Amino acid sequence: QAILCLPRSFEYSQKNAVLVPVAALGVGGMLLYWLRSGRKIKTIDMGDGWWGSGERSLKGKEDASIRPFKIETSDKEIEDLHRRLDQFRFTPHVEGAAFHYGFNSSYLRKVVAYWRNQFDWRKQVEVLNKYPHFHTTIEGIDIHFIHVKPPYVPHGRAVQPLLMVHGWPGSFYEFYKIIPLLTEPAKHGLNEGDMVFEVICPSIPGYGFSEAPHQKEFDSIATARIFHKLMNRLGFKKYYLQGGDWGSRITTNMAQMLPQSVKGLHLNLVFIARQSLGRLICTMLGAYVPWLVGFSREDARRFYPFIQKNVYDVLRESGYLHIQATKPDTAGCGLNDSPVGLAAYILEKFSTWTDKSFLHRDDGGLESKYSLDELLTNVMIYWVTSSIVSSMRYYKENFSKDPHLNAHNRVGVYVPTGIAAFPQEIVHVPRVWAKDVYKNIVTYSYMPRGGHFAAFEEPKLLAQDIMQFVQKVEQL
Amino acid sequence: EFCSSLAGIMLLEVFLVLGTLLIYFLFSKKEEETLPFKDGWWGRGQKPVTKEDSSIRPFKVETTEEELSDLFRRLDQARFTEPLESSCFHYGINLEHLRKVVSYWKNQFNWKKQVEVLNKYPQFKTKIQGIDIHFVHVKPPRLPEGQAAKPLLMVHGWPGSFYEFYKIIPLLTDPASHGLSDEHIFEVICPSIPGYGFSEAPHKKDFNSVSAASVFYELMLRLGFNEFYTQGGDWGWLICTNLAQIAPNHVKGLHLNMVSVSKLGLTHLLSVLLGRYFPGLFGFQDEDVRRMFPFLKKGLYRILSESGYAHIQATKPDTVGCGLNDSPVGLAAYILEKFSSWTDMEFQNLEDGGLERKFSLDDLLTNIMIYWVSGCIVSSMRFYKENLQKGIGTQKHEK
Repeated sequence: QAILCLPRSFEYSQKNAVLVPVAALGVGGMLLYWLRSGRKIKTIDMGDGWWGSGERSLKGKEDASIRPFKIETSDKEIEDLHRRLDQFRFTPHVEGAAFHYGFNSSYLRKVVAYWRNQFDWRKQVEVLNKYPHFHTTIEGIDIHFIHVKPPYVPHGRAVQPLLMVHGWPGSFYEFYKIIPLLTEPAKHGLNEGDMVFEVICPSIPGYGFSEAPHQKEFDSIATARIFHKLMNRLGFKKYYLQGGDWGSRITTNMAQMLPQSVKGLHLNLVFIARQSLGRLICTMLGAYVPWLVGFSREDARRFYPFIQKNVYDVLRESGYLHIQATKPDTAGCGLNDSPVGLAAYILEKFSTWTDKSFLHRDDGGLESKYSLDELLTNVMIYWVTSSIVSSMRYYKENFSKDPHLNAHNRVGVYVPTGIAAFPQEIVHVPRVWAKDVYKNIVTYSYMPRGGHFAAFEEPKLLAQDIMQFVQKVEQL
Repeated sequence: EFCSSLAGIMLLEVFLVLGTLLIYFLFSKKEEETLPFKDGWWGRGQKPVTKEDSSIRPFKVETTEEELSDLFRRLDQARFTEPLESSCFHYGINLEHLRKVVSYWKNQFNWKKQVEVLNKYPQFKTKIQGIDIHFVHVKPPRLPEGQAAKPLLMVHGWPGSFYEFYKIIPLLTDPASHGLSDEHIFEVICPSIPGYGFSEAPHKKDFNSVSAASVFYELMLRLGFNEFYTQGGDWGWLICTNLAQIAPNHVKGLHLNMVSVSKLGLTHLLSVLLGRYFPGLFGFQDEDVRRMFPFLKKGLYRILSESGYAHIQATKPDTVGCGLNDSPVGLAAYILEKFSSWTDMEFQNLEDGGLERKFSLDDLLTNIMIYWVSGCIVSSMRFYKENLQKGIGTQKHEK
């Protein structure tokens, strides 16, 4: 019996001897893996690129100088513009059209009359030149940017570097009203923790005074990389980012590419990721029990009725996106030749995307939020640089490979993020959905008023939100 | 006795039932549903009380020195953009090739000569529902003994015009001279859709294909035709179909070179998924299968990549047309791109878009000039909004 016991006890203890360490190893291994993977943030590959014309020259390093730049104009340029404004061929609109068929041609006539007789481009060029402009060559193309340092820094305060990126059909000029609020907040009655910023606003390649890429496939990833190189060249190691429209996409990519360089990411537009079945169910339930799916009351107010706001409205407003993402050279051709056509195309967006109810107004409500001088200055940037076609190509380069722009939504964004949700933005994205991509939302604010062109329309509100966000991040 | 009365009652019942069924069938014979004629007033302001002038006035296309010099000035001052390296027609029209077209337009294209070509067929204008309708009316030069000409209404589309029919008209009105059988000889009427070419544009909202069909119906009646054939492609397809729905008794036959499906149901979905493997089951011919599949590539992606223009024209026509009415180069780019990709999808891979493989530059530019000299690009685009804004498949005539 004892002999029989022996093998059994031997087996038993052997089992223990083997099993326990194995189990320990197993658990330990899993723990290690979990810890490591939790800490290891997925990033986007930086890659490299060349966008100049022809072949890249292999010998010699790229010229990394930063050259000051001033916008100029000439009598010839102004006369040519005036001649085209004078010869504009006008089409009467149908009776009662308001802005439902697009830009109202009767109101357009008034805009053209102002443009021809009162708008002073030389004066506007001086306005544009009040901030220092520069050019520098990166990946074969000239990148334009403005760099505004605070004129006065309180003793002991740190200056936060802030890169602000525009979208379409905007430009660096959209930030002209918000820059002084960020570089000299005290002077403008903003004292959010005595935060002071040094602001850099580049032009996306193909927009305004940045050279257009000569090669195909220049997308937001390439732009993100170029802007990182720019900040690096300017001597910044860590910085804040702010963006809306394409700027939101680009700054998001930047945060995904080099999270260690991005102190914080502030957005006034969130790109909605692809709808899944779960999302669809949430949407349907959310109309009746918003709290169940994580929607706040304000979310529900802005988000519903769903089909009207997210399907019909989007379809009605996205014709430009469809044609620019498929035939940019065709769509832009006439606009580069007719300044009035260009103005109608661009200003229609400044009307509808600022407030959807402006569709019902004969004048598109444009002058209720902006001055004609400001609006036309933005249009002139597209006109004098002939950049409308290249600006449209950006849509094709970004949408044709990845129509839902969601390949990098899977990578996620882990840097501290602040979202300013403006009520008249084209589509509202509730915080609970934004969290799918932006894993580290520090602030999410329902702004009281304002639309798509936040910096242009409500600079003070946006500046306050940015400061509030940065203050929170600095305290973390 | 009881049995016989019961039998009698049963027989009576049977007769009653049969009788009611017979009556029901006689009276419920389903009437062919027709689309109601859409009357309207498309002129400026209020409809006047006086009766409309229904005279048919001869019309000739004209041009002036001023028109030509204005065109040349705009062509000279055109601002071009460089295309991306090796992009062919993938980003839309190739802007480098466009330069060559513009150069031809400036130096070789002769608009005065083309105006004479346009005027070789008799053209007329007549006011219907408040707007001037332009049309070409070609009678056969000779008719064999005892044969009557068949009236044929041919309707164009976008971005085409009545000019598209200039090559086919002689083949229909005078087949014998062109080596075709003269069994059927036609009298051809090609109107311009209101808002296109030399037809006045509607001044009111909601002028859609049913409105156009109603206007053309009135036109044919005014010309004295009680029965006629109709032919159409692109918008012409829809207008002619509507015309057949409005007045089936007047339309002897409907010929279409484009058909669109508006009601997509389960059978359509199944036929897309399985049609490649069981064509017979869904009524597909071999040629159908060859042309339709692979569906994603030939169907969905193609539609998405080619329909940007329809999307923007159906939502913001006044915006997108604005610049095109001011820049002839922009107008040409926009229109020529369609004559490239809609003729052959493979032309996208060619640097010149294959444009001159099927058409002469003179023909292409004449069509564009019709849009330019009439200033009709914006109103031509509005037709998309009036037809598509309520969605596809929701209109009464589609049911």
